[in-house]
Amino acid sequence: MKPFRFTATINGRPVDLPVNPHRRLLDVIRDDLGLTGTKEGCGEGECGACTVLLNGRPVNACLVLAPEAAGCEITTIEGVAPEGGLHPIQEAFLEAGAVQCGYCTPGMILAAKALLDKDLSPTDQAIKTAVSGNLCRCTGYIKIIEAVRLAAAKLSGEGDAV
Amino acid sequence: MNRRGSGCLKDGPGVIGRNCRRVDGIAKVKGSAFFAADRKIDGMLLARVLRSRVPHAVLNKIDARSALEVPGVVAVYTASDIPGENRVGIIVKDEPVLVDDRIRRVGDALALVVAESEEALAAALPAIKVWYEELPGIFSPAQAMAGGAPAIHGQGNIQSVTRIVKGDADSALKEARVVISRRYTTQMVEHAYLEPEAGLAAVEDGQVTIWASTQNPHYDRREVARVLGIGQNRVRVVQAPTGGGFGGKLDISVQCLLGLAAWKSGRPVRMVYSREESMEFSPKRHPCVIDYTSACDGDGRLLAVKVKIVGDTGAYASYGPATLKRAAVHASGPYQVPNVFIEAYCVYTNNPTAGAMRGFGVPQVAFAHESQMDLLAGALGLDPFTIRLRNCFQPGSATATGQRLIQSVGIGQTIEQARAGAVQLGVLGGKR
Repeated sequence: MKPFRFTATINGRPVDLPVNPHRRLLDVIRDDLGLTGTKEGCGEGECGACTVLLNGRPVNACLVLAPEAAGCEITTIEGVAPEGGLHPIQEAFLEAGAVQCGYCTPGMILAAKALLDKDLSPTDQAIKTAVSGNLCRCTGYIKIIEAVRLAAAKLSGEGDAV
Repeated sequence: MNRRGSGCLKDGPGVIGRNCRRVDGIAKVKGSAFFAADRKIDGMLLARVLRSRVPHAVLNKIDARSALEVPGVVAVYTASDIPGENRVGIIVKDEPVLVDDRIRRVGDALALVVAESEEALAAALPAIKVWYEELPGIFSPAQAMAGGAPAIHGQGNIQSVTRIVKGDADSALKEARVVISRRYTTQMVEHAYLEPEAGLAAVEDGQVTIWASTQNPHYDRREVARVLGIGQNRVRVVQAPTGGGFGGKLDISVQCLLGLAAWKSGRPVRMVYSREESMEFSPKRHPCVIDYTSACDGDGRLLAVKVKIVGDTGAYASYGPATLKRAAVHASGPYQVPNVFIEAYCVYTNNPTAGAMRGFGVPQVAFAHESQMDLLAGALGLDPFTIRLRNCFQPGSATATGQRLIQSVGIGQTIEQARAGAVQLGVLGGKR
């Protein structure tokens, strides 16, 4: 198959590379760009481990063909933390004990980011809805929900309040 | 409460009583933790397994010549390429790395393709020709244990039997006020850890190193050494950050195949299971059939239990003998039972292999003994808390296997608190 020219913005940086049009956005991110923080859990849109933000919206990168993402602004887990530090959502996941095996964590954090970028005082129901496309087999979700709540508090300047 | 008084643990050195950050936490929230599938080495090949589509067959011949002609294919390995022993298993060495004589389950590994790209692997797998003679399959332990059933392994289909006998259960049954017998069946369960199995192997200076998603690197190392016919000092297994296991990554998955591919090809090789392959090939929770008889007196005190547990371990033993032993040991539950007769059978079938999964046979029997307690309570008009409090272990109790519990027996307090909590929430009346 003839490659096409894939141009997009990934984590604030422009990318421009030849990509076979049958490849998934997930393959471009992991294999071509070497951003392996985005995980593949099922390859069929069930688990959410490959969640990235496409123009701010959470998508399963395994269900997006590379051409569909061309021209978009893409955020992967590598683009969440500020240089030399952690994003408040990442801090909150560590503090709340929401990270166990860590395989769902990048996708969870991006799903949480998509929510908190729009709503800094989400209800528990809104948090559950936001992460409803992301499976976790270790935590039982309670601590993940607590982490998102804690992150909302941190981001709205309430410090350690939960 | 500890000897130095409450609170001091929080103030003292160490980690007890404190919130601690995971040592690997920062890498995991930043996406910089390298799981097995994230690792790349220059010149690395990719591998994929051709698996059986039939559950039971005699393997006659594999012809990989057409697959080898696919551009990008480097090698196709079959059982005859294995330099050492072609049998692995944590308790019983009964599972081939690549089938040499008999296919015993859907998903048995027949051939390993090593290639430069995913595209080459995808084209090569269907080009491998396999000749086999299908045999009737055995899909339930009852079928496997019946007289005249064909033996899936040489020694017959009953892999192990565990018996626990205490007192005289039959006599006690005759004196009981209430006797209840029921059959309980539990299903196969897939662990579904979020990360499918993956690994990478490389050979350097006559030593093979394998980075794998595993719960059991020491065991992996021994098996890879046996399969390659080399000393353990020449095998190094590194547990990559592992995306969940829950018991399901205690068995061999990619380790021996990767070791073989890297050893034979001399190049680094990576293999990553798809979710489908992981589901199909990985060991499951043992499905069990449990025949349970419980007997108690007029106050609800247990006099005897008789339990027969039959666990389907599938095509290979994996952790089956230990899982069924554990099921037997815990079959009378957290209760004092003076007379016990328990039998647990671990049985081969042509189903997917069952192995370790959180609880190791105990969740299966818990479903049965707790259902029995509710039925006994119902028969005597007792509430479910009362009958459990009358029977549960206390400090000084002896278990079915004769272990004397001399400390830390919290079940009575736990039940009391659960009852109080339920009353407080208004989901239970306050009466006994």
